[in-house]
Amino acid sequence: MRQTLLGRTPFYVLTGGLAIIFLFPLAWSLVASVSPQPATGQVIGYGLGNYATLYNFGAGLERFTFNSGFVAFLTVAVTLGVSTLGGYAFAKFRFPGRDALFLLTLAILMVPYATLLIPLYVLLNYLGLQNSLTGLSLVLAMFQLPFATYMMRISFEAVPRELEESALVDGCGTFAVLWRILLPSVRPGLITVSLFAFLAAWNEFFAPLILLSDSAKQTLPLAVANLRQQTMGAIDYGATEAGVVVMALPCLVLFVLLQRHYVRGFMSGAVKG
Amino acid sequence: MNGFGTRGAVMLTAAVSLALGLTVLGVPAGALAQDAAMGVDDGTRITMWSRAATQARADALVKAYNATHKNQIDVTFVPTDDYQTKVGAAAAAGGLPDLFSADVVFMPNWTSAGLFTDITDRIESLPFKDNIAQAAIDVSTWDGKKYGLPFIVDLSVWMYNKKLFRDAGLDPDKPPATFGEFVAAARAVGKLGGGVAGTFFGGNCGGCNVFTWWPISWADGQPVMNPEGTESNLNSDTMKQIYAGFREMVADGTVLMPDSETEAGPTWTGYFPRGVIGIMPMPASLQGMANAALADEDIGVTSIKGIKGGESTFVGGDAIGISRDSKVPDAAWNFMAWLVGDEAQVEVVAKGGNVVARPDLAANKYSSADPRLVTFNTIAGKGQTPFAKNFGATYNDPQGPWIPLFRDAVFGDPSRIDAHNDAINESLNP
Amino acid sequence: MSAPERTASWQLGWWRTRQLLGVAYAVPTIVFVAVFFVAPLALVIRMSLNSWPLLTGDQGLNFPKNYVSITTNRLFTPAVVFTIEYTLLVTVLLIGLGLVLALLVQGSGKWVGMLRTVFLLPVALGLASASLLFWGFYSPSIGPISPILEGLGLIDQPISFLRTPLSALLSTTFLIVWKYAGLYMLILLVGLQAIPDEVYEAGALDGASRGQIFRHITLPLLRPSLALALILCVTGSLLAFDQFYILTKGGPDNRTVTVVQLIYREAFQRQNLGTAAAVSIIVLAALLVVNAFQFRALRDPERA
Repeated sequence: MRQTLLGRTPFYVLTGGLAIIFLFPLAWSLVASVSPQPATGQVIGYGLGNYATLYNFGAGLERFTFNSGFVAFLTVAVTLGVSTLGGYAFAKFRFPGRDALFLLTLAILMVPYATLLIPLYVLLNYLGLQNSLTGLSLVLAMFQLPFATYMMRISFEAVPRELEESALVDGCGTFAVLWRILLPSVRPGLITVSLFAFLAAWNEFFAPLILLSDSAKQTLPLAVANLRQQTMGAIDYGATEAGVVVMALPCLVLFVLLQRHYVRGFMSGAVKG
Repeated sequence: MNGFGTRGAVMLTAAVSLALGLTVLGVPAGALAQDAAMGVDDGTRITMWSRAATQARADALVKAYNATHKNQIDVTFVPTDDYQTKVGAAAAAGGLPDLFSADVVFMPNWTSAGLFTDITDRIESLPFKDNIAQAAIDVSTWDGKKYGLPFIVDLSVWMYNKKLFRDAGLDPDKPPATFGEFVAAARAVGKLGGGVAGTFFGGNCGGCNVFTWWPISWADGQPVMNPEGTESNLNSDTMKQIYAGFREMVADGTVLMPDSETEAGPTWTGYFPRGVIGIMPMPASLQGMANAALADEDIGVTSIKGIKGGESTFVGGDAIGISRDSKVPDAAWNFMAWLVGDEAQVEVVAKGGNVVARPDLAANKYSSADPRLVTFNTIAGKGQTPFAKNFGATYNDPQGPWIPLFRDAVFGDPSRIDAHNDAINESLNP
Repeated sequence: MSAPERTASWQLGWWRTRQLLGVAYAVPTIVFVAVFFVAPLALVIRMSLNSWPLLTGDQGLNFPKNYVSITTNRLFTPAVVFTIEYTLLVTVLLIGLGLVLALLVQGSGKWVGMLRTVFLLPVALGLASASLLFWGFYSPSIGPISPILEGLGLIDQPISFLRTPLSALLSTTFLIVWKYAGLYMLILLVGLQAIPDEVYEAGALDGASRGQIFRHITLPLLRPSLALALILCVTGSLLAFDQFYILTKGGPDNRTVTVVQLIYREAFQRQNLGTAAAVSIIVLAALLVVNAFQFRALRDPERA
């Protein structure tokens, strides 16, 4: 019944058209990055000239990619750790200030963060984490907390209480229950949280711009922005689109590979509403 | 800021007593002068920031320095649009590097806030101090103290496409001698059609039109601001005639549209090298300009002229100074002193086809090979660098009051120029 | 001690232990939120009360000057109005299109599965990357749309996507809808699939039309998902920054300046952390009110 919203042919025409509109900008950036353009690394014929520009830029693509990868990895690890324990606490325990703490965590979403970055800069100096990829990762993990904590909370809430209670009766401690019984059941939630933390950290521009001040510590989005504005007032469109492709590829691959899991991660929330 | 002055005085006293002490101990005065002049080269690691716009030229200088010195400079380039943000945030949180450069127009803002170390005495001790281009030093001077030296010199000139000039029946060896002739030449090329336009400008870019339109007024002897940078003359009759010239060229299709109206700065110099523009103001550099669409011998260069004739240029680019937070000012000074020395200016700057920061070296073995480079170096002495403490917020900020002024003057309602000029005055004196 | 008393005290003890354990598991969150959010936020509040130039730092209390000067700034009211207009436009389009896409792909099968993946792909891009992509896509230099339309003979002048305030707004909105429609599709799809088939069957047995089923069954049962989508979308749009920073820079003629751009301008162009912090606090307060209101209005009446 649900499928017969439209007739067969109109359905294919409409959805096919929409699919083309959604794919076109992505496909175009791929094509543009290898197309000939004056004043880019690829002047004549199709080829990888723009990628060569990107590869040889500054400290080198490997360095930037490594830095971005490191930051993304650490952000995911910290986000997962904090939000799993926090989500467990919010979902399965009652303690004074629980709701206030949860709302406070969600409020992180509501602060314009251009202003928050200066105090964070001062704070990292104070903690001895200035100009470090670790400090940057902690800041990025903080910005991930609202989504991650919410996601882990609804994931834990969706696990039937009986599962946990029988284990408690068997004499398991609460941590053993979390580790052995609950974590396997909330795997889609964990994957969803990791994926979104990875995407955010990998693509972040402003926090590394402000917080990192060392050429060897630059991340990929910073390098691409630099490359874009390199020569006084002349933009290298080719290298820009190549940069967009390089930044997007790992995200797209991960996103497609993990689709099944994060769709289920979102589902766990729907059961309870 | 009072604290800064006191600190400077303490340092100066310390330096003087140290010098006296050493003289008493019998250290030869000559060796001491040498050290004071050139700083120290003892293998110190020096951190430095610069903006991406001048990366190619800055990088060449830093590489040459690192190759010939024990000190090593670790330079970080910052996206141009975000450079002011980056320096501001670092200043607020106490994280400035040892050395950092600044678009010359931002210098008063940063020197007045005490971001740099006073180097008046160090500059004084340089043997060739009188031969350094003064514009960058003047703009880096606050309350009588000097904080910076020229790092990258960037001028505005008119560039024209000799092939299009020939096609339009103009003499490619006779560039415009007045603003009126500029308009006439652009108009003639614009009539060619076929994707070719007479001229181009960044119609949504504050910095571009500061760099390219103000020299027209200067060439006529009409200042755009008072020397203190607190009062704007951008509604002068001269400026109004300049706006009107561009307004007419927009109306009759001489200007490339709609690109000119939407250009916010990032790509404004990208059009001329495509060989589709007759004549337009450009930065004075031939680096990477020639390509399949524009042969090197077709690039004509001339200075920016006034309405009545005369010539001028915007002496822009970057100045460089030692930050207030630097723990190694002597090592950092070693780079700055080397930078304005003969070797760096001739073997790095001039060799790269760029304008030198030492007018006495304008005629050198590299510039004599290309008469256009001689043109660049000669007009450098005839230009100006505007000075205002609130320059960036007034003229470069996309939401500042200068962009609405010229957009109304050229695309909108010119009767609002005077009202916009009042807004500029307000922004110059917050 | 009698037996019932002992049980009661045992229960009390068990409860205390549970409470303590709960707090213990929440400790990392508490520390993180306190150190990286509450402490910086406190500094922002202090900045908003003091004269605080970016380059020279705290110059002492000047309340309420920052709040007065920023709310009377010539860009403030237009920025607030524009941000609200943009939020309304984007929210209607995103939730509407998200719902349509969710309805289109809620079945099973290869084609539908592929469609879901396609609609979700742009979500994987960072907002800055996506804005850069469209910055090239809309550029007169390499943008593909004008050449294609010219080739088809539909236009003879290249389209200028960012020339007028309206086209700049619509072009930016297109980017955002393209990038996020998949996410809202996913949230609403999950909601749709949680509605049991029996409910639809019952509706169909009662002879309800397709429109009636949608209005009286689907929409009410979708309420929790719609609430989540709405809160996310409104919050994100009211805080819009990157897309305008990269694509329009607030232009043309200051007609696409959002509130967060105003904050950025105050902090880094005009170098006044005091007024920047004041707007941030106003925005935070406004968002708390708006979200509390949305939350109340959309709460499931039966669960309330």
